[in-house]
Amino acid sequence: MRRWLVGIATAGLLMAACSVSTVRSEEATCDAPNGAYPVLVAQAVPSAVLLPCIRVYPAGWSYGGSEVRSARSRFWLNSDRAGIHAVEVDLTHRCDVAGLDDVTSASGELDVRVYLRSITLSPFEADRIFVFPGGCVTYRYRFGDAQEGPNLAAEADDALTFVPRSLLVDLVDDELGMTLCGAEAPPCVGED
Amino acid sequence: MDAAQEPRAVGEERRRRLPGTHGPRRRRPSGEPPPLPRELGRTGRFWLIMVAYFMSVLVGALLFPTFGDLFEHFDNRRLAWIAELRTPRLTDAMELVNALALSWTIRVLRWGTIAVLIFFRRWRHLVVFLGAIILTEVVAYDLSILMRRPRAYDVTILADWQGFSMPSRPMAGLAVTLIGMAYCLVVPGRQRFRVKGVIAALLILLACARIYLAVDHPTDAGFGAIFGIAVGLVAFRWFAPADVFPVSYGRGKAAHLDVGGRRGEAIVGAVGRQLDLEVLDLKPVGLEGSGGSTPLRLRVAGRDGQPEHYVFAKLYAQSHVRADRWYKLGRTILYGALEDEARFTSVRRFVEYEDYTLRLLVDLDLPSPEPYGVVEITPEREYMIVMEFFEGAVEISEAEVDDAVIDQGLLLIQRMWDEGLAHRDIKPANLMVRDGQLKLIDVFFVQVRPSPWRQAVDLANMMLVLALRTDADRVYERAKAFFTEDELAEAFAAARGVASPTQLRTSLKRDGRDLLARFRELAPDREPVAIQRWSIRRVLLTASVAFGLFLAISLVIENWTVFA
Repeated sequence: MRRWLVGIATAGLLMAACSVSTVRSEEATCDAPNGAYPVLVAQAVPSAVLLPCIRVYPAGWSYGGSEVRSARSRFWLNSDRAGIHAVEVDLTHRCDVAGLDDVTSASGELDVRVYLRSITLSPFEADRIFVFPGGCVTYRYRFGDAQEGPNLAAEADDALTFVPRSLLVDLVDDELGMTLCGAEAPPCVGED
Repeated sequence: MDAAQEPRAVGEERRRRLPGTHGPRRRRPSGEPPPLPRELGRTGRFWLIMVAYFMSVLVGALLFPTFGDLFEHFDNRRLAWIAELRTPRLTDAMELVNALALSWTIRVLRWGTIAVLIFFRRWRHLVVFLGAIILTEVVAYDLSILMRRPRAYDVTILADWQGFSMPSRPMAGLAVTLIGMAYCLVVPGRQRFRVKGVIAALLILLACARIYLAVDHPTDAGFGAIFGIAVGLVAFRWFAPADVFPVSYGRGKAAHLDVGGRRGEAIVGAVGRQLDLEVLDLKPVGLEGSGGSTPLRLRVAGRDGQPEHYVFAKLYAQSHVRADRWYKLGRTILYGALEDEARFTSVRRFVEYEDYTLRLLVDLDLPSPEPYGVVEITPEREYMIVMEFFEGAVEISEAEVDDAVIDQGLLLIQRMWDEGLAHRDIKPANLMVRDGQLKLIDVFFVQVRPSPWRQAVDLANMMLVLALRTDADRVYERAKAFFTEDELAEAFAAARGVASPTQLRTSLKRDGRDLLARFRELAPDREPVAIQRWSIRRVLLTASVAFGLFLAISLVIENWTVFA
């Protein structure tokens, strides 16, 4: 009995230790919006009408990990040239954009304004901030001493996009008959 | 006719005796628990069953999504119903209760407990406490990743959260911490029972608050609490049972076991049944000189008109076997194949070996205690060896040492050499004197056919002990009657540093005279015998230990954020 218990405890610890950093590379991709992860992101910042996701992985880029908690959700990407944690995508309720350059393009999405925080080239560091109703997403580029920082940033930009929250609201309603409380959803119980 | 009646009479005699009562030796029948059984207890089994039940439900939900949807609907309906009852005042109160689940609250409780355990050197409790917490946190985290259950639907969540919801990690973390604290800090009995009641009330209150605030589903909170309680309870009941590792607030040696309470009763009963000795009283003795066992002096009733007398006993547990293994591993890494020691695989082997060495020395008519037998306390976990107690004997460091005692000491070594033995732990604490007669105790380290180096060290250590009470010149002069000058030179060339037991080295330092140097002056010149021995085994062992340490440190660093 004791050996069994010791065995189970050791196996549990080892399994846990080995898998604690395990990440699901597909969890933040845009083509898997019916998974639990996007729903959790939508619950983290219920006011946000857009949710960040990964459209495609450019060559040399991979998923790094994620952290979702109330009022904040973030995930990050690794690059074979820019290192680990090269780009972090952070969703919050609001951002302070006072004094930042507004770089919104005329062809951009409606109701999304884009800002840029100071750029340094070596090490390459920059923040791109997307502000939209009920939320804000920050792309943090941290490429260290990698060459071709702007090119890497462009690759990261191509990889990332947004999915409308309403899509998830509809999915939860269709599949479970329940309400994903927040923006684009009917009022919930206990709402102020 | 007589032959037929005799076995029946024995059988009747055995049936008359009740367990726990003094009487002739009695075999433990199959199925009867040992003197000190090791148990999880009814509640421990209950919580394990609850965890198994919840685990099976989770597996069911993973394998059959429809089953999972049923739970989702059940939980969310309950949450919606409770959310209808929300009032501003009640919400404030529930938010206050929810502060119990804050990471800072749990952190303070954990670090406070760790500090107390370190202060009172309760290493076993500390290791089990940390192990239970790490296991709970890491398994709960991985389970939440596996289950991937989002937070509540249909209801507005009113409190902060982190990650997926099943199981509730704050509930599991607080439950294992509180249960761990109860088992680490509170003395068993009514006090601990009450504390457990308070813990149950706190956890129920917290679960209600988290369900009210819709931060946990009812099943998340329930499973989190059950998981945390079960891990804490089973870990402490199994790996640090109160009988073996009592909650004490003294700062004694970790090697010594508590011999009061249930263990004390078990020892008295076991010695009565297994050795037919009625124990009137038991008392730990000589704890400061013993790190490898718990030495006891038992007062036993006299027989056939004899007065009551003392016997000596050594209680061995698994912790002693582990300590012995680490000791030997450390010596191998530090000095190489110093003594070519093999480790013991179990407490049973430990105690069997000491019983053998005692019997061997008695057979050879060497002045060592007569063994009375081995007593089983908990099978494969605790045994006690009982032997003769030299009543009225004093340690050689407190006795008068004359030429007769010196000669006895030297003769003892000579006899052991002749019989192909080495004691390997010759020090003042293991040499007793009674009525001018030298006695040798603690024969656990005796080795048959040892290395010549080991035998030479025995001689040097014996001469040093004798010289502590007299002087080197006198002892050396007497030794020449038993050993050649070459043998004496070899002894002091071999006796370097760690070759002598710690107690002897301390006594020599305290004495002030450089006895070792004086002996070396008296003996013919001889090159010192090297202690360091290099081998492939030593190199591999050192590398393995270094790698193991690296892994352990990495594991701690990796899981630091999960734990702290």
